[in-house]
Amino acid sequence: MKKLYVGLMLGFGLLAFTACGGGTENKAGNATGLEAIKAKNELVVGVKNDVPHYALLDQATGEIKGFEIDIAKALTKEILGDETKLKLVPVNAKTRGPLLDNGSVDVVIATFTITEERKKAFNFSKPYYQDAIGLLVLKEKGFKSIEDMNEATIGVAQGATTRKLVGDSAKDKGVNVKFSEFPDYPSIKSALDAKRVDAFAVDKSILLGYVDEKSEILPDSFAPQDYGIVSKKSNAELATFIDQFVDNNTALFEELEAKWELK
Amino acid sequence: MLRDFLAPFIDEQSTNPFAVSKFVSTLEHAEYFLSGFAYTLSVSFLALAIALIFGTIGGVMATSKSKILRAYTRIYVEIFQNTPLVIQIFFLYFALPPLGIHLDVFLVGVLGVGAYHGAYVSEVVRSGIQSVPKGQFEAASSQGFTYVQQMRYIIVPQTIKIILPPLTNQMVNLIKNTSVLLIVAGGELMYQADIYAGDSLNYAPAYIIAAILYFIICYPLAYFAKFYEDRLKKAHLAR
Repeated sequence: MKKLYVGLMLGFGLLAFTACGGGTENKAGNATGLEAIKAKNELVVGVKNDVPHYALLDQATGEIKGFEIDIAKALTKEILGDETKLKLVPVNAKTRGPLLDNGSVDVVIATFTITEERKKAFNFSKPYYQDAIGLLVLKEKGFKSIEDMNEATIGVAQGATTRKLVGDSAKDKGVNVKFSEFPDYPSIKSALDAKRVDAFAVDKSILLGYVDEKSEILPDSFAPQDYGIVSKKSNAELATFIDQFVDNNTALFEELEAKWELK
Repeated sequence: MLRDFLAPFIDEQSTNPFAVSKFVSTLEHAEYFLSGFAYTLSVSFLALAIALIFGTIGGVMATSKSKILRAYTRIYVEIFQNTPLVIQIFFLYFALPPLGIHLDVFLVGVLGVGAYHGAYVSEVVRSGIQSVPKGQFEAASSQGFTYVQQMRYIIVPQTIKIILPPLTNQMVNLIKNTSVLLIVAGGELMYQADIYAGDSLNYAPAYIIAAILYFIICYPLAYFAKFYEDRLKKAHLAR
């Protein structure tokens, strides 16, 4: 019993120690400043690899390609003068925060929706793309809009803002829906095909990559979401730089949207 | 209330993932964790029952004289031991509905995790029975016990002491393995912690609190098994 007590005290002691560390500024933050990136001559960017048009792993070549990858290339060129000095790291909605915090990635460009709450934890740039949420359903179910979907289950991605936005909108229309959250988009599509969920809800341009002959995108649109380029909170210098980059490149982004059929 | 109590330690501007303020806001969303905790408990409890039933039957069958029964358990054990639990869960969740079998997530969890650990428990029970000296079987049958009676009165009581530690391992692992259900929106503790972590980006406190809750389920089980094992050993020596 004595050993248990000592063990628990040690455990809580350690916890308290790390927790108290919360008050002090994170020193590791400086290591990813603009100068540090130039010094290591490489920009590490967290991107998704399962989102058609935005960032999708090409099985044939093993390369990730898409709208957001091209933005990452442009950003690399702006900082280091050479877009080949870009290093891509696949992230998902759950890993992108921790990877930024522990310094594994310098920047995240991964359909990261800007919200007030998230701004407390990370630096978000101005939006580089705006998209509304839509619903993908199986044709055979005969849904015409979310108003037909009382008691339906909607599949959304974990760590996405979709759940709240669709949920609020459904509530306004007097429709009661349930949600299932999945770790990535392909599993939501599988769940839809297996009739585990009645609809797949995510940003419309992402849905375009998943529509097939058995499914259709409903005309409903929900609150538009803004995507931002995200960097570590403690790294204000990089954040300012990225913000300017977004400001100066709106024409380029529009060009890329056309190239990747996002318009 | 908690926020007022800890006010001196809270620094809203802190960027440290372990900041006290992040723990406080996580605890203010305790309902996520509590519902996940209750779900994990109920899936674990039913899956444990299935694992013990499959395991005991499988283990006894594996030591029977019938070749068919032995082959049958061998196939069961090898398939479940040598494929990842994640694939088995995916199979139950995604592959069965097109075949016309539609289990809900709760059942997928109970059956998937239960059958997977049933295979391991079966091996534990088999090795336990086989570790009882052959003379015990011979002595028992010379006294006119039937096969079932031999098992019930002579063999199984002797194996309990031997198999208790590996069996406890399996039970604890089973509880922890229910966390794989998060990949199919299972609703258990890990899923809820993950959702909260993703929404709020307070991932450090979310996962620490989930870990503490798993510990609260697993530790007493392991502790009780150790206590029971010691008591059995003492009872044996005292005689």
